[in-house]
Amino acid sequence: MSNLATKAAPSRTGTATGHSKDGAATKGTRLVKRRSVTHKQVRAGWLLLTPALLHSTIFISVPTIAALFLSMTDYNFSGDWTWVGFDNFVELMGDQNFKTAFVNTVVYALVVVPISMGLALLIALGLNQKLRGMAFFRTAFYIPTVTATVAVATVWLWIYNPGAGLANGALSFFGFGPQPFLSSPDAALPSLMLVGIWQGLGAKMVIYLAALQGVSRELVEAADLDGANRWQVFKHVKWPALAPAQFFVLITSIVGTFQVYDLVYVMTKGGPGISTNVLVLDIYNDAFQGMRLGYASAETVIMILLISAFIIVGRKLQGADKSE
Amino acid sequence: MVLYVVLTVGSLLMLSPFIWMVLTALKSPNEVGAFTWLPKEYHWENFVEAMKTAPFLNYFRNSLIIAIGETAVTLAVCTMAGYALAKLPLRGAKSLLTYFIVLLMVPFQIILVPLFLVVKSVPLFGGNDILGMGGTGWLNSWWGLIIPLAAGPMYTFLARQFYVSLPSELADAARMDGVGEFGIFLKVMTPLVKPALVTIFVFQVEGAWNAFLWPLMITSTDEIRPLQLGLAIFSQDQSDIQWPYLMAGTALAALPMIVLFIFAQKRFVEGMASAGLKG
Repeated sequence: MSNLATKAAPSRTGTATGHSKDGAATKGTRLVKRRSVTHKQVRAGWLLLTPALLHSTIFISVPTIAALFLSMTDYNFSGDWTWVGFDNFVELMGDQNFKTAFVNTVVYALVVVPISMGLALLIALGLNQKLRGMAFFRTAFYIPTVTATVAVATVWLWIYNPGAGLANGALSFFGFGPQPFLSSPDAALPSLMLVGIWQGLGAKMVIYLAALQGVSRELVEAADLDGANRWQVFKHVKWPALAPAQFFVLITSIVGTFQVYDLVYVMTKGGPGISTNVLVLDIYNDAFQGMRLGYASAETVIMILLISAFIIVGRKLQGADKSE
Repeated sequence: MVLYVVLTVGSLLMLSPFIWMVLTALKSPNEVGAFTWLPKEYHWENFVEAMKTAPFLNYFRNSLIIAIGETAVTLAVCTMAGYALAKLPLRGAKSLLTYFIVLLMVPFQIILVPLFLVVKSVPLFGGNDILGMGGTGWLNSWWGLIIPLAAGPMYTFLARQFYVSLPSELADAARMDGVGEFGIFLKVMTPLVKPALVTIFVFQVEGAWNAFLWPLMITSTDEIRPLQLGLAIFSQDQSDIQWPYLMAGTALAALPMIVLFIFAQKRFVEGMASAGLKG
């Protein structure tokens, strides 16, 4: 980014010196003309930029700051509100729904992020071969990602159906007894995780695949000539080249898993009991069922801190990997 | 060989839920009491029946309006901003770009509560006075469904990345020929970033079509509810759920984006990769 910005600057000064090299008599008028041209460009620039700037300020910046402000109030739609400082946060510490949602969301992220990243990398390595039919396989792995989560969740609701679902049908084919899946408090969250992993593989796989295709052939061939085995080629040539992709996949996966909502809403609504309550579901319930917008905003603030913490720790772990 | 076997099994695991969805949609309602793969007879009329049980066609139309509306706004606003950031001599263009990049990292769930209040207080709409008080603003309206989620900073950033790679000499030459600044943007530079336009189009259509939480928050009538929301409501009615009809509705919600993806696959994959690796 920065190098592109600096590239643009010299080209502009280039035209300026070009103009000043012309005859001394015309120099003055040329400069005036050039200045008015630049002025026109500046005016056009601001006009073109204003809608996007206004939109993002009104619909993103202001709400973000408002969330921080609201979290310190008891605002509840009624119009009058008072400043309550950190009371919302103190109350959250004793709120069983919130505590369950917090733990479930963290567990969900800790399970889903590493497993789906690992699987996606393996699939990408498999697909990164010049063989027939790879385009078909790539499409197959990617389709769940482009499908609406509500549609995916509805299909899986039917797959997990205890009596006639595909999941128990498949288990009985392999000789296992039927499982309760979504109707048991212990099995419901892992059942949701499985769908989360299944749906998220494609997006990660595509990014890994693009990064692998950027690894120079010469480097891999040189390593082969030096007698490196497949594992050594992967570890010393491919793995380091994957670093930027790893970073992107890690961040988007963490942010994505913390936002899990549609899936839970359709498949369990947080149940049985509150066994699959997650943060966004709890925020939604407190804000729009309980009408406690200040309290719900305090939860979103905690969610920002949690996502940030996860990203920092994740980066540390990736960094440690590299120095090995 | 082993690779093919592994990949085939993997692909089957990825695709079988969709295959089963379509097969279930074709079964007769009394055939889904126990697990079977293939229907005894193919009941294509289930799709028609499903449309009668729930206003799926209406939802479908609403999703289409929202997707087209959001995409039109996004294409206009984000190419304009992307071009200005990339090619016009704005003071502070670099910090403005940083501003957009920071905003594209704000997760939607963080702002959902205050965004609801912002949309509720749009002045002079939905019975609001000039200060945005007293009415419902853009709640339960096309405006509210389309505008806040359109023109995301990600698309401004994406458009800027494409414009920046065009040579500035093209614009300068057009300027010499007396073409105005907006003419240069519309007729000279934008036709050269068609791949970017396709990428933005595909991503935004998919995002708008698949959205759920925001429509859930701000709609209160069936007239403007999109398909995903209609489907979710229909699937919650567990008492006498008709799986074939529900799967027919689900297919209606899922298949258009799958088809769009298969057609625009190359762009889609390139877009994902460039968003991930260049950024």
